[in-house]
Formats: sequence, structure tokens, C-alpha cells
Amino acid sequence: MSFFGFDAALPRDQGHNTRAPGFSQASDPFAGPRPDDDDDALDFEDTYDGLGDQLDETDDAFNDDTFGGGGGATAGPAAKQPVGKDFDFFGQTAKVSDAITEEQLRFTRSQPPPRAAPSHSSYQQQQSMSRPTRTGYERYQDPEYVQELQVDANLWGVAPKRPAQISAPSHDTPVTPGLPSGRKMMSLEEVEAAIRAQAKKPAASSAPSHIQPQIHQQPQAQYMQPQQYHDFPQQAQPQYHFQSGGPPREDPRHVQREQQSNQPVHILQRSQPPHVQPNVPTAPAQNSQPTQILQNPNRYAGEQQQHRGAPAVQRPGHQQHHSGSHHIITHPQQLANLSEEDRAAFLMEDAKRAKRNHKIFLLSKDNGLMTPQDKNFITRIQLQQLVTATGNPNEHGTDPSLSEDFYYQVHNQIRGGPRQHPGQPLSNFAQTYLFQTGGRHGGMRRQARGGDNHMQRMEQQVARAVEAAKNKPKNKQLVIEGSLGKISFSNAKTPKPLLNIKRNDSGADLNRPGSAARDRKLNAGVSGSDRKTVLTDIENVYNTLMQMEDHERHVPPPLTDDINPGLHGLHQDWNAREDKLNAQLWAHLKVHAPIGATAIHPFIAFLSFSKGKKSIPRVFRHINNEQRTTILTMIVVHLDQLDVVRQGLIQEGEIQLDSSSREKVELFSLAVMPTLFSFLNEIGLAIVTGLLGLVRNRTNIDHVARTRIGVSMLTMLLSRAEVIKPEADAQEVVMYNSFFDVLEPTLQHIFPGTVNTGEDAYIWQFLALIGIGASPEQQQRLVMAVKDRVMDTVSNAKTLPPAMSVQRLNNVELFMTSIGLSVSMLA
Amino acid sequence: MADVDDGAAAPVSEPLDLVRLCLDEVVFVKLRGDRELKGRLHAYDSHCNLVLGEVQETVYVVDEDDDGEETVKTIHKKSEMLFVRGDSVVLISPQGTS
Repeated sequence: MSFFGFDAALPRDQGHNTRAPGFSQASDPFAGPRPDDDDDALDFEDTYDGLGDQLDETDDAFNDDTFGGGGGATAGPAAKQPVGKDFDFFGQTAKVSDAITEEQLRFTRSQPPPRAAPSHSSYQQQQSMSRPTRTGYERYQDPEYVQELQVDANLWGVAPKRPAQISAPSHDTPVTPGLPSGRKMMSLEEVEAAIRAQAKKPAASSAPSHIQPQIHQQPQAQYMQPQQYHDFPQQAQPQYHFQSGGPPREDPRHVQREQQSNQPVHILQRSQPPHVQPNVPTAPAQNSQPTQILQNPNRYAGEQQQHRGAPAVQRPGHQQHHSGSHHIITHPQQLANLSEEDRAAFLMEDAKRAKRNHKIFLLSKDNGLMTPQDKNFITRIQLQQLVTATGNPNEHGTDPSLSEDFYYQVHNQIRGGPRQHPGQPLSNFAQTYLFQTGGRHGGMRRQARGGDNHMQRMEQQVARAVEAAKNKPKNKQLVIEGSLGKISFSNAKTPKPLLNIKRNDSGADLNRPGSAARDRKLNAGVSGSDRKTVLTDIENVYNTLMQMEDHERHVPPPLTDDINPGLHGLHQDWNAREDKLNAQLWAHLKVHAPIGATAIHPFIAFLSFSKGKKSIPRVFRHINNEQRTTILTMIVVHLDQLDVVRQGLIQEGEIQLDSSSREKVELFSLAVMPTLFSFLNEIGLAIVTGLLGLVRNRTNIDHVARTRIGVSMLTMLLSRAEVIKPEADAQEVVMYNSFFDVLEPTLQHIFPGTVNTGEDAYIWQFLALIGIGASPEQQQRLVMAVKDRVMDTVSNAKTLPPAMSVQRLNNVELFMTSIGLSVSMLA
Repeated sequence: MADVDDGAAAPVSEPLDLVRLCLDEVVFVKLRGDRELKGRLHAYDSHCNLVLGEVQETVYVVDEDDDGEETVKTIHKKSEMLFVRGDSVVLISPQGTS
């Protein structure tokens, strides 16, 4: 575009429209050479010399090539595209430059060459001065070429809206004249009437009449009229040049016009129906007076010009009718005559309009891809998904909802969360979503006539979808007679399982017959403690435990003073179920299996598994004291059969237990012992005495006392006995004495490992306990039994680091104190 | 280990109920790709996805030297916790006390 060879420096030009970069570029180089304040004429002439030659040589085609890219895709008819943009450009220019008329003149002069090059010959450009006027003129002329415009519209058929609007002017041409130029029309009518009346005074009718003959001879001149109608006398001269030189130099478009207009001019003026229509009354007049024929064409031409002008003004805005109508009527070129404000407003309006049209065009690219039905379909799908995602609120409280997100439910129970049921917030969300969607639609469609109707349909659909989701069958499975499984319906939340094998819902129901059978087996003397059976028992216990824990969560609200039959019934039911579960748990624990019927009691075997040990604390929470006592008794009775005791014996030559045994001992002392201990602290002396008797009579005390668990158990019992000793009567004392007698031989071997291991704290505690309860004579025997160990430990402690030494000595000191002695006495 | 068919004594209604008995027990798991696991079974599901603890994994690798002779190498790995995807599980066996 810079083939003119000028720099781009004019600041004013920067204000020109940014939407037509090609032209702005073109204008820049041209405007560049001149400083802002330079005289226009000088610049103009300079540029004129160089450009004129070049452009003459290149001729029209070259211009097309040069500017074709910037303007329209095709050469001839499409060249109208740039016309439109030019017009906008002009509008921008006018808007930006609040210049006085002189400045405008200069400006127009500077602008046209690059701009005019594509559309007009160089001579025309330079001579014809104002480019903006030109553009405006062409724009205004568009309506005339209805056919061409329609062709373009067809080309744009891709975008339905735009063509409609663009083609609108063409339609407007017949219609609009009536509206904006109505007054003018009336005046013309009046003029015609006057003409008719005066018969032969047409020439005086109007100023354009001067030109009329020219127009008549050269239709082209008509189109150029706007240019001729400049307010400025200087411009008037170029017009004449233009008239003379213009026609031969016409660029393709003008040539086309010429070609078309040569023939159609008459059509336009005389036979075009739309234009003729308003003049119908005048037609007879024409016929009546042949002399008027010459005038009539002029009049028609004038009318046409009015028509041309009218739509142009109309486009920018209907508001401008009154102001624009006058100017329009005479000529579009009279824009220049308008006050700056009006012009600026007018151009602004037009620019805005073009901009909006372009936007609509861009947006409307994909218009019509989806029918309303399609949209409704999509909306329905989305709604259904939303509704299904919210889930069925009715499910709340039932097992499915609990099993689906158990941890969340439990967590919520603990927190007492605000969410009453899972569906609530989601449905709120759905409502919000729907509301927003609706609102947006409403906003978009507010102007649309069918908008409300559409929204209503949407809402109805929503309502229907929600309703349908509510009414959907709640059970998600369909059991067909004779089939192996169930057919499951799926939704978004729970995908459809292909086959759902029917399965007894709770292990408890299933297990009851099984356990009964096992009981029979046990009664029949068959070993009930084989591994698999025990494992099964453990699983059953856990199942029952989980049911009980779940049952606890559903405990009804506490009874109040006022009698509420329903609540009472609930409690009864709850208690009944609790009892049932308790009995079930008790059965699975096998505590009541006959002692001695099997090599190892089922419950002891139960405890031999780590998971069995782990279950004890949980079991104790759900059983009553009697049952707890039974369990404790069972453990004490079988103390030497406990795996932790059986395997807890440190073998000869070994320092410590193997890892698996150690783990078991550790687990037992962590899981079972505290439970038993806490329970033991609640029991009375009678039971403690009884338990001690059991230990003495039924277990291998020697073995038990040499294991950690065994000693711990004994310590536990003895400490409890010591606490409640004041109540002890003679019988208990006897019991204790006999117990000591049994224990005494073991005392020498009671210590695990060697002195060096240092894991004998619990032994010292045990010994201290014995020492406290022992009579002086027994204490002496006790000291005799462990004397060596005491001495060894004390001497060993001296070789150890202070911390460990103190610890060891403290252990010993505990024992020594219990019998009234002190480690310091040994030193 | 009792025989599996002792249906009267055990509420075994599906094979995985047997696996359930091994919960929290040390199990031996054979996997595709010549791998074996031994570890404590913490959890399983219907796909035989397993979660094992204190796992010892043994991988058998056949090395072929220049002479074409094949030697089996075993690689041992230990993991504190392991998730085993069920599609690779060939068998699950209770390990007993060993």
C-alpha cells in the first residue's frame, strides 16, 4: 500500500478507523510527506504529479490488484465491500477530527488518492478531492443498484442475517422515500403540481435543473452529482474536470454502472416501479406534456437521489429524520453542510451500526445449527442428569444410603451436620443452576417475542423431569422369576452392575444355622477349634459386632417422663434387637463351649488369633458384666493354654522370644490386658479370690509364672486382691498362703532371660506385690528365693550407664521396699 | 487347615468367604508374571484386589546365559504395605503358622 512512497507520520491519521487497516495504512503514507500545518495545495500538487502518472499507467486493474485484498474477495461486484468500510472509515475520520471545514477539505484531499485509487482513476481521485464524500456518495448510491446489492446478498447467503440487513436498504429504497423524504416528496409533488399548472416552467423548479441536461446526456453524471454538489467553490471546478474526464476513466465498477446504468438509467428514471409509484399521479402529466419528459426524468432523478439519500440517512438512525431529511433531499453530499455535531453524530451512528452488523454477522455464523427441538432435547438430558445426580431423597435413612457413603454418614452423625439428606444441597444446586439458566435465557430473549413462551416451556420441562425422577421406581432391581440374578437399573450415581448374585443380606442370618450345626458338632465331641472354624467364628463375631455398633447408632431418643407409646415401642424393639444381637455375639464367642471337650477351648483358640485378641475390647463394650466375668474366668482358667502363655516361655539358651510370639504377647498386653484390668477393678473380692483359686488349682502355675502374660495376669489379680484386702477374711488368707506355696518353687525361674536383658520390671512389680501380701516368714522365703537375682541386678547396675542403672535399681528397690528392705542396705 | 468342603461348619456361600477367613492373617499370594507374595491380608474385594501388609515379594527371573542354559534367579523385595490389583492374582492361600 505504500507504493506512493510516503511515510506514515500524520498523527491525525492515527485517529482513523482501526477496522480498516488497509486504508489507514494507505492514508498514512500519503499524509506523511506533509507536515501538519503545511499548505494543502502544495502537497496536493506534489502528490498529484507523481501519482497521476503511475496510476495512469497501471490503470484500473492494477488498483484492483493492489486493493483487492483489503477490500472484497472478488474484483467487480465485491468491490462494494470496501465501499462500506470506507464509509465507516470516513465516519471515524469525521468523528476524530473536530476540524473546521478547511481542515476537512485538506483532509479529504489528502485522503482520497490512496482510497480512491481502487475505485476511481487517478485523475478522478486527485481532481475529485474529498474521498469521504466519495465514499459517502457511493454508499448512498448503493440503494440505486438494487440488483447488484441483491447479488451480493446472495453471495452472503451463508450468513442469513447480514444479507437481510444489507439488502434491507435495497428494499428500503422504494419504501423509505415515503418516510424520511415524505416532506420533500410532498414538496416535489407540489412542485410537480406547480409544474403541471405552469406547464412550461420546469427549469425554474429547482437548482438541480441546471445539471439535469447533463444528467440526461450522461447517466453517469447523475451518480457523480453528489461530488459536484460541494459547498466549496474550489471543488466545483474539479467536478467539471471530473465530469469531462471521469466517464472514460471510470474504474470497473463505474464502468459497470455505466453499462448497467446506460440501459437501466432509463429504467431507473422512468420505468422502475418503486420509484414510479409515488409519481404515479404525475405519470399522466408526463403523458400529457411531452416537453415535460425531459423534466420528468430530472425529477425522477431528483427523486431517486432523494431516495438514495433517504435510505442512507435512515440507516444511521431514524431519529435524525428531521435534521437529515433536508440535507438528504438535496444530496448526500450535503453532509458536509451539516453542522459538525450532526455530521459526527450521523457518522457515529453509521459506524456503530456497521460495527454491530459485523458483530451480528460474526455471531450468526453458527445460527440455525440447532433447532429449538434440539435445544430442548439437550436441556432435557442435562436436567435429567441433574435430577438423578441429586439422588432420591426418599432413600435417606435406609441402608443403601448408609452403605453408599458410610463414612460420610457417620461423620455427619458425629458432627450433626446441617444436611438432612444427601439430596438437599444438590437439589438446591440444581435449582440455582436452573434459575440461572432460565435467567440468562430470559435476558437474552427478552426482546424476542417467543422468549416468555420458551421459558415457560423450559420450566415445565424442569418440573416434569423432577416429577418423573421422583416417581421413578425406588427399587433399583428387578428380579425375574427363575433367573439367577437380578436385573439392575442404573443411574448416574450407581452404574449398573451386570449381574447381582442373590446373597443373604446379613451374615448373621446365614450363620445361625451354621453355628447351630457347629454346636452339634461340638457336642458330638468333634474338635471345634480347628483353624478354619475358629476363623469363621472370628468373622462371625466381627459381623455381629458391626451390626451391634450399627444398631447402637440407631438408638431411639431417650424416654421422657410423658408416656409416648410410639417411643416406648421403639425402645422395646431396639432392646429386643440388642438382646438378640448380644446372644448372637455370645454364641459366636463360644465362651460357653464345654471346658475340656476339646484340646483347646474354642474361646482360647479364638484368642490365639490376633484379630480375636483385637476384638476383645469391642466385645466387652457390648456385653454385660456377667458375660465379662465369664470371659475373664474363662481366660484365667485356661491361662496356661493361652497361646501367649504357651509360647511365651523363653526356651533354654534363648534370650528372648521369637518375633511372632513377641508380637502376640505385645498385642495381648495391649488389647486384652487393659480391658481385663479395667474390668477387674470393678469386681469384688469374692471373684478375685475365686480366680486365684482357679489359677492355683487348674493351671500350671510354674508355667504361667514364667511367662510375661502369666505374670501380668497374676499381678493383676494380686494387686486387686491387695486393694480390697481389708475385707479379706480367713478364707482368703488361706487362699493366698496356698497360692504362695504353689508359687514359691517357681520364683527362682521367674525371671526371663539373664540379668542383662533388663526386661524384668514386671517381675519386680509382681514380687513386690507378693512381698506386700506376704507374712514375715513368707517374705524371708521370698528373699531367699530371689536373693541371687537381686545381688546380680545390683552389681550389674553398677556397670551400666547411670540412666539404666537407676532404672534397674528402682525396680529392685520397689521389691525391697515391699518387704521392708532397701537396696542401699545391700551395698 | 480344615478341608474347604466342610460346608456344614462354615457359612461359606461364595469362594471369597474363604478369603475372608484369612483377613488379618498371613497369606500366600501367587501372581502372574512369576511373582509370589507373602503378607498379612488387610483387605480384599470381589475382584481379588488385595491390600497386604508386611509383604515379602519373590520374583522369579529366568536368566539365559551364553550356553543357552537357563538359571532361575529369585529377587526378593519387602514392602510395608502393598496394593495388589486383582487381575494379576492367581491364587490366595492361607499361610498357616509358617
